[in-house]
Amino acid sequence: MSVESNNELASARAQETSDKKPVLEAVGVGKRYPGVVALDDVSISLRGGEVHALLGENGAGKSTLIGILSGISAPGSGELRLDGEKQEFTNAAQAQNLGITTIYQEQSLAPDLTGLQNIFLGREPRRRGLFGRALLDEKAMRSRVAPLLEEFGLTVAELNQPAGSLGALKQHALQILKALAFDARVVILDEPTSGLADHERLSLFDHMRRLRDRGVALLWVTHRLDELFGLADVITVLRDGRHVAAVSPDTETPETLVRLMVGRETPPGVSGASSRAKRWTGAADEILRLEGLSRGVLLDDINLSVRRGEILGIAGIAGAGRTELARAILGADRIDGGQIHMNGRQVRIRSPRDAYRHGIAIVPEERKSQAVFGDFSLTKNISISDLRRTSTARLVIDRRAERKQANEYVDKLGVRTSGVSQKIRNLSGGNQQKVVVARCLFSGPSLLLFDEPTQGIDVAAKSDVYRLIYDFVDSGGAAIVISSELPELLRVSDRILVMREGRIVGEVVVGGDADLGSEEGVLAEKIMAMAARGGAA
Amino acid sequence: MSGTNRSTPVASQLSGVLSSTSSGAIAILILVCVLATSQSSSFLSLDNGFNIASQMVFVLLLALGTTIVLITGGIDLSVGSVMGLTAGVVAYLVSQGLPLGVAMLAAVAVGALLGLVNGLIITKLGLPDFIATLAMLGVARGLLFLWTEGTPFIGYMSKPYYVIGGLERPFGYLTIPIMVAMVATFAVFAVLKYTAFGRHCYGVGSSSDAARRSGVRVPRIRVLAYVVSGLLAGVAGVLLAGQTTAVAPDLGSGYELQAIAAAIIGGAALSGGRGHALGAVMGTLILAATANAMNISGVSAVWQPVVVGFVLLLSVILDRLTEKQRGRSAHLPSAPAVATAH
Amino acid sequence: MSIRDRLARTAAVEGAAVTVAFIVMVVVFAVSSPFFLTGQNLHNLFVESVFTVLLAAGMTYVIIVGGIDLSVGSVLGLSAGMTLMTASKGAPLLVAILVGVATGLVVGLVNGLLIAHLGVNAFIVTLATLSIGGGALNVLTTRVELTGVDSTAFTNLSQGSVLGIPAPVLMTLAVVLLLEFVLIATPFGRRIFAAGINDSAAHLAGVNLRRLRLQVYVLSGVVAGFAGVLLAAHLNSVQPDLGTGFELTAIAAAVIGGVSLSGGQGSVWRAVVGAFFLTTLSQGLQLLGVDPTWFTIVTGVSIVAAIAFSRGTQWFASSLRPAAPRPSAPAAEAAEPTHAVNR
Repeated sequence: MSVESNNELASARAQETSDKKPVLEAVGVGKRYPGVVALDDVSISLRGGEVHALLGENGAGKSTLIGILSGISAPGSGELRLDGEKQEFTNAAQAQNLGITTIYQEQSLAPDLTGLQNIFLGREPRRRGLFGRALLDEKAMRSRVAPLLEEFGLTVAELNQPAGSLGALKQHALQILKALAFDARVVILDEPTSGLADHERLSLFDHMRRLRDRGVALLWVTHRLDELFGLADVITVLRDGRHVAAVSPDTETPETLVRLMVGRETPPGVSGASSRAKRWTGAADEILRLEGLSRGVLLDDINLSVRRGEILGIAGIAGAGRTELARAILGADRIDGGQIHMNGRQVRIRSPRDAYRHGIAIVPEERKSQAVFGDFSLTKNISISDLRRTSTARLVIDRRAERKQANEYVDKLGVRTSGVSQKIRNLSGGNQQKVVVARCLFSGPSLLLFDEPTQGIDVAAKSDVYRLIYDFVDSGGAAIVISSELPELLRVSDRILVMREGRIVGEVVVGGDADLGSEEGVLAEKIMAMAARGGAA
Repeated sequence: MSGTNRSTPVASQLSGVLSSTSSGAIAILILVCVLATSQSSSFLSLDNGFNIASQMVFVLLLALGTTIVLITGGIDLSVGSVMGLTAGVVAYLVSQGLPLGVAMLAAVAVGALLGLVNGLIITKLGLPDFIATLAMLGVARGLLFLWTEGTPFIGYMSKPYYVIGGLERPFGYLTIPIMVAMVATFAVFAVLKYTAFGRHCYGVGSSSDAARRSGVRVPRIRVLAYVVSGLLAGVAGVLLAGQTTAVAPDLGSGYELQAIAAAIIGGAALSGGRGHALGAVMGTLILAATANAMNISGVSAVWQPVVVGFVLLLSVILDRLTEKQRGRSAHLPSAPAVATAH
Repeated sequence: MSIRDRLARTAAVEGAAVTVAFIVMVVVFAVSSPFFLTGQNLHNLFVESVFTVLLAAGMTYVIIVGGIDLSVGSVLGLSAGMTLMTASKGAPLLVAILVGVATGLVVGLVNGLLIAHLGVNAFIVTLATLSIGGGALNVLTTRVELTGVDSTAFTNLSQGSVLGIPAPVLMTLAVVLLLEFVLIATPFGRRIFAAGINDSAAHLAGVNLRRLRLQVYVLSGVVAGFAGVLLAAHLNSVQPDLGTGFELTAIAAAVIGGVSLSGGQGSVWRAVVGAFFLTTLSQGLQLLGVDPTWFTIVTGVSIVAAIAFSRGTQWFASSLRPAAPRPSAPAAEAAEPTHAVNR
């Protein structure tokens, strides 16, 4: 099939769908996992030439819904309809053959294959030759994507490079080409802007508009409310696995959307959270000071200090260098320059081991892959940060002492468990997180780093985690909290530093009384502005 | 449109091999050549060239199969003993009076079949590749021992088999084993570069998730890779039986390690997704040339495994160091680097 | 705890399966051969098991931390050669032992430095040192006449006994007990498990992965070196290919015993049971007049059977367990099959 006819087809399709008949529909779909209702009677219609945004807090059921629509998991109840006809997908490949392509944040490209090879992976055009149709038709591949290249910001040279060596935006572009090369009618984008710089985000939005103009139905999952306006045609909001609203962006504001997402007047994490009894007063000795900390292009001349009793928030969009900062402080990544001072003394931290020795501990971002020892009991998960403490003569672990200590922490932190010998992988995300905090506390730190401390845990557990942070700083520690959720940062922090492209671009002091909702709105806007554009640039 | 940067496929492949083959390996090859030439001018002679070629045929055939398996992210430890067993199959069947052609076909089929068993155990039973092929190594080796009852199969040689085994050379330097190895190299080269199967091998090894999401039938590709590896081991076994004129019970033992070493030196990665047919040739050549050079220089043959080990170690160390230098953390730039590669 | 839970737990203990298989095998051999349970035979069985047992015990550490050590077979042979050479030159017994152990230490150190500090793949590094070590023994045997050592102290290392228990068996028992104790009861052992279960998490929780891995490879080398010392005393001669294939037997023993190759699971006693399983099998078959070459086949099949069986029991155990609460809904979705990658 020639490219021209492809384009004709696309425009014809656009004509056809101008009356916006749904291409892909989910009707009353539900999904349960043991102990959790992930999705409950949700309906959604994706129409050609329309950008459909999907909003919801973590755990609202967005990824479950995407999984069902893209054929990765089957709905427990309800049905899917393609062009009005009931359809069942048994796997992702089948959904793709029906024109439904999902663009994930990661792991959708084979890093060692070139861009071109990735685009056609699994569906390579063959040419007729000596051996039947055994040989690949490289020419056909090139000619099929050639007219699309420029439009999506790729060059022929980049197409010949290993996909793993391209940046995030180019990788997204590759995935879009992959969809287009096979006449995708539905494209699902799962938080596509995470990891993109600002200008890259805008380019991606252009790509999305082009897809829309070709008559493709887009489902767009995003966390950032400010992105929606001007691009989304319809917004569906999920909350606790249920469909809450399908609204038009014209009638909404970020504030009203937040309200729909959390179901209350106040931002997430606030209601029910034990609010902090006493705010930091400012006068205390310095725990951590960073001077000119740098690491390649990821961290550039970072200066900051945290004092005893203070909670320092770090804001910024994904890729701004927040996690890199935490890893640098912890010694997980080698730094190129700058100094770290702990309690007024300059220290050298070359590994997390060193960091623990100097009283720094971290609650990492990715709980499953970076924090939890799934096969270990709660006891072992807690004591790993300081095994000497429970060892006789530092040599032999005293199991009774170990259990006793673990029990104390589990009680103190309110971990819900059948006992400390339970394997941690059988706990809920929130309880796992509490155990990870317990592990950090066990090492007796004076500074705790929290990287996305409430990611993927429910509201009740969130407020528990906040309480743990408060208790820690109130008892004489200092904390740095990294979060993508601004309301969370505004709630817990005394002070917020805003990062962008590896630099600290601004600072916001959160006022004494957090109950002033209006002030939070103002601060949030200020932070957003700095995170997106930066003060200096 | 893209005519500017088009070069002949082989040339571009060659440059690709040169850039992906460990720089250390190439340095070693040059060093070996220089040292050996300075010791004896006969090293670079045509005669000796074909000597090296004849010596490397068997490891090369195994290294080609190993390369394919490594590309898919697996590992095949059984190739050496499968080669030995298939050699036994030919010897036995011929001595039982079967025509040579039939016996050879049967041996190659046995090789492919054992590869299929490997693949199925790995994909269906979910055993780690390392363990499944280790078990196959034991089983194939044991079968040959049992079958030979501890004494070599002999008396199966015939005039045509001397030719096939490369002991008689009706075509001058170009013996049958060398020709077969050349054909096999070309075939593997073409399959990896020009067929969907080859492409899918790279895809599966590079990211099995991405391959699955793209609709590649991952288990099937993995099984096929083992079948090809077994098949090539079968071909090697047929040739080897012709060259050794006797099939000893331990024929082929240790070859798997040489094959893996050759593939790795040639740029294949244990993590999958990388490797070339020409890289396997390069790796085998380095090992064979080193052995030959030592031989010529009068170094005792007992030193050979030591040198092979050092060559392998040196090439991966140099690779690792250059990699560190270049900071090849380009993969997924936003993701935090994992603690340390292990 | 309900009966269902108990059943699930028992089934989940993978070592139980091998132990049962082991006992069944012993009974079969005992019934079919009157010599099997004789003192002399048991003596031989134990004395000849110690090498595999020691290698498997050291290998357990390496596998649990998530690595592999192919070099142990060569270390066994080379260390035996070095020990014999030293002893035959009239050096005191202690020096000979130290030389043997030091041989293992050096190889382990090389392995560890390259793997832990340079980040080279463990399989390749130890494959190379396997080749180098084996070759070195080969060279050694051509250079030095390695015949028997005529020294009571040296022969006592293998011939001596305490309370009727052969000295090598006693020493091996001590090493195995020590290794098991260190693994389960010390911070070092705990960290090994932690690193094997989740190395990123261990790193971020303050475990020094480099040092830990270095220590583990050194330990494996030292244990293999010690096994070489015992082997030298046992044989009182060294063949050029001594130790060949032992690395695979050791890995097989650990795997059959239920030590998971993906790391983070296992124990020394399991590997020891696996090693006993293999040596008893080989000896029993010989006793029954079965051609010893069956042994490699049976080993291969046992490996596959052991793993298939443990997969089966795991599946059985998890199907018995009441629907365990999954971590969280989004995480549950990620439970797609990913194929195990070799390390």
